[in-house]
Amino acid sequence: MNYETVIGIEIHCELKTKSKMFSSSPVSYGQAPNTSTNEIDLGHPGTLPSLNKNAVKQALKACIALNLEIDTLIRFDRKNYYYSDLPKGFQISQQFYPIGQAGFVDIETELGKKRIRINRLHMEEDTAKQYHVEDETWIDFNRAGIPLVEIVSEADIRSATEAQRYVEKLRTLLVYLEVTDGKMEEGSLRCDINISLRPEGTLPYGVKTEIKNLNSIANIEKAVKAEILRQSALLDSGQVVQQATRRYDDKLETTVLMRQKEGTVDYKYFPEPNIPPIRISNEWISEIKQTLPELPDVRYQRYLDLGLNAYDSQQLILNKDLSDFFDTVAKQTPYTKILANWCLSEVLAQVDQSQLEHKVINPEQFALLINHIGKQTISSKQAKEILPFIIKGEQYDAIVSRMNILQVSDSETLNALVLEVLNENPQSIIDYHAGKDKALGFLMGQIMKKSKGQANPVLSNQLVLEELNKRKA
Amino acid sequence: MTILDIIHTTTVDERVNQAITKAKANQSQLNAMVNFIDPSEQIKQLNNVSKDAKLYGLPIVLKDLVNMKGTLTTGSSKILENYVSPYNATITNKLIQAGAIIIGKSSCDTFGMGGTNMTAATGPVYNPYDLSRMSGGSSGGSAVLVASGVVSMAIGSDTGDSVRKPASFNNIVGVKPTYGRISRYGIIPYASSLDHVGYFTRNVFDAALILEVLAGRDDKDMTSLNSPVPEYSKNLSADLKGKRFGVMSNVLNAIKNPVVLKQFNTLLDQLKAKGAIIVDIKLNEDLMHAMLPTYYIIANAEATANHSNLDGLRFGMQQDGKDVEDIMTHSRTVGFGKLIRKRFVIGSYALFIENQEFLFRKAQKVRRLIVEDITKALSLCDALIAPASNQGALKINDTKTDQLSSEYLIAENYMALANFSGYPSMTLPFAYDEENLPVGINLTCIREAEQMMFNLALGIESCTKLKDQIKEVQS
Repeated sequence: MNYETVIGIEIHCELKTKSKMFSSSPVSYGQAPNTSTNEIDLGHPGTLPSLNKNAVKQALKACIALNLEIDTLIRFDRKNYYYSDLPKGFQISQQFYPIGQAGFVDIETELGKKRIRINRLHMEEDTAKQYHVEDETWIDFNRAGIPLVEIVSEADIRSATEAQRYVEKLRTLLVYLEVTDGKMEEGSLRCDINISLRPEGTLPYGVKTEIKNLNSIANIEKAVKAEILRQSALLDSGQVVQQATRRYDDKLETTVLMRQKEGTVDYKYFPEPNIPPIRISNEWISEIKQTLPELPDVRYQRYLDLGLNAYDSQQLILNKDLSDFFDTVAKQTPYTKILANWCLSEVLAQVDQSQLEHKVINPEQFALLINHIGKQTISSKQAKEILPFIIKGEQYDAIVSRMNILQVSDSETLNALVLEVLNENPQSIIDYHAGKDKALGFLMGQIMKKSKGQANPVLSNQLVLEELNKRKA
Repeated sequence: MTILDIIHTTTVDERVNQAITKAKANQSQLNAMVNFIDPSEQIKQLNNVSKDAKLYGLPIVLKDLVNMKGTLTTGSSKILENYVSPYNATITNKLIQAGAIIIGKSSCDTFGMGGTNMTAATGPVYNPYDLSRMSGGSSGGSAVLVASGVVSMAIGSDTGDSVRKPASFNNIVGVKPTYGRISRYGIIPYASSLDHVGYFTRNVFDAALILEVLAGRDDKDMTSLNSPVPEYSKNLSADLKGKRFGVMSNVLNAIKNPVVLKQFNTLLDQLKAKGAIIVDIKLNEDLMHAMLPTYYIIANAEATANHSNLDGLRFGMQQDGKDVEDIMTHSRTVGFGKLIRKRFVIGSYALFIENQEFLFRKAQKVRRLIVEDITKALSLCDALIAPASNQGALKINDTKTDQLSSEYLIAENYMALANFSGYPSMTLPFAYDEENLPVGINLTCIREAEQMMFNLALGIESCTKLKDQIKEVQS
């Protein structure tokens, strides 16, 4: 039978802030366990939450970019449950009045633009991180209290590709807004995918499963495809889908059961008494609106206008650090197309993401390199040899002189070289005049070989053509 | 004798040693202290405090819910019997900055949940006026330490009437200011929306002085008020001319004790003689009867969440278990007494999704109606006035109380009105019942009208002449 896939996605996204949601502990990654904590994060008796204004600002930025209606009265609720990663025995969240409601994002699909509605965005605090080592549980409270937003889509997503595009779109948006670092592999952006199948043309939803712990964008598509296969196989053979939480196993290339769902949990939500409702001003919201950074869609259009093709533009957009680097260098070179190619090939191949993030490559020196490639005063082979030293922080000129990469542009020397090559290859001259363009390439190759790659290719080419025309019998 | 007099007429060592000696001597009879804190380090630190500090070298005690770094803070519970605070409550810092010397923690009902002080892990606290009677609670230890002359000021907390009731039973002044006036940061909670920091003194002047020390905005408590703190003690005035006292007929009708009623009427006459006006106030009787159940639902619902952090994992008493969940379950089962578990069950029940609308949400609606009613009443007068209780402290083994009678539902519990509304309220000495046990008088004013409240209290104090009452305990 043919089935329609119905997908809704919940995204938990850690906000980029200096301190935690409700305490002054620093938010930091890679610290020794349980060092970024204070009495509030550990839920000590008598502690009270104080709301981080910057976290609210980050949530507002996200609301604006996702076209959500903003509730200007900020209210929090308690979500009550016992778990060892939850120090207070409740999580401060926004159940009844989320900061943002009823928004949307548009994603690109094979059939064109598709609008995915967003049900809500609410603020909450992260839990501690647990490690299960054999029969022991280790808890790191550094993560406890880190500000989060949860973004819940409507069940508008219909395929694995759409699911991937949706998460990719949201992640890119939030990264451009500097709301989050969006690192799925480190868990700062986590998505739960609810997925069910129904016979094509019918309305009632099927039984859904939830896929958790997806650590990359690429795995989203794989996981959803695998789950669609699994569910449809079950349904085809007359079996039922069990409501459950599953995870994607990379090696098995399928989803595996984490835990069965037994009814719904009653979290006994009630308004947080220690945080009075806070009215935020429309002035503040419009101030945030006006100072939003350039969003990916706008940047994409700008790239098209610069003359880049759609594919390159999209690839650049998806990697904000790379795209930022491109923008910086582009100010210093007219060869934007070459620059884009180099960014998407050599830079990605030779530079790792954290170097890009920390802006390790000197843009002036890189621009010099691109300009020389553009003017054809060096070959791209030479440029590839130069790049590693630029990455290391050396100056272009110093590298070139040390490597003895000097362009021979002196026309007398070149002319001698051209004559020498032509005299040695009479057959190529005949071939050229017989209309075999390949012969020109061969002759150029011989010139480059003899000059050890140092002959100025533009000038040499010009001289060869002149000489060939002279010898047209 | 005011706190200022004490500071000017004794040395730091004299007053601190005297307090500790007396507290230890009285302990076997009052059972008021949970633990003592060696004062020597704090006395040394007085070098950093101006000699003019308001509480310079003054010995005080903290209710066993107030965190002070490096000291045992048990909440008079079993589950926190070994809990050493890793941080200071905001008021602990303020008290230390004002020169106070904290000599120990005083007993209370476990986590402030009770009105008798009978549920403290260390046992009941006894009333110095009759050692066979209870201190009242939940801040019973602090109350009897002030009443018996150990300290001239002690910190309490007040969620229903936990400062003002024991003040009444112990012939001293008990103050609960406006919600948010004193930071709650670092006070082990009972029910966050009803909890107030309060304190005991032996006269109205000291009551005004202490609020100057404790009050003020604290960024660590988002419910804390922004308004500046006046010098209440310097602005005191006992002038009652034209002041309007509202007498709640509902409360008065519920008070059946003729001895207390007679003295109340005498007091009203005295107030009138000083130019005050008595206004008759009738609150909604149905709401008054709904008050106590409303209180229980809100308080227990908040309490069950507030104490979910006590799971034995990160601090406090820990029981063994095969995994973390097991450790949590065992620690909570052993660490909480039957009464507390009952409160948690009631609180959780009120929050269940199927009950929340007609229990918790309804209680919040009733709370709003009650607050509207009392706000309207306070637009007709400067303060509501009534005896703080129908009689003096009950016997330790009293079980006769009919919990559905108006005497109990209203006369013994109406002071929670000031917790619902967050309005300032205080009790001061006023009468003795037929068994010669003290009964206090209660005042409640509109939000942030502490100065008015202290002024009216000073006027009353000048009528009753009951101040600086000390009931020595023979040791």
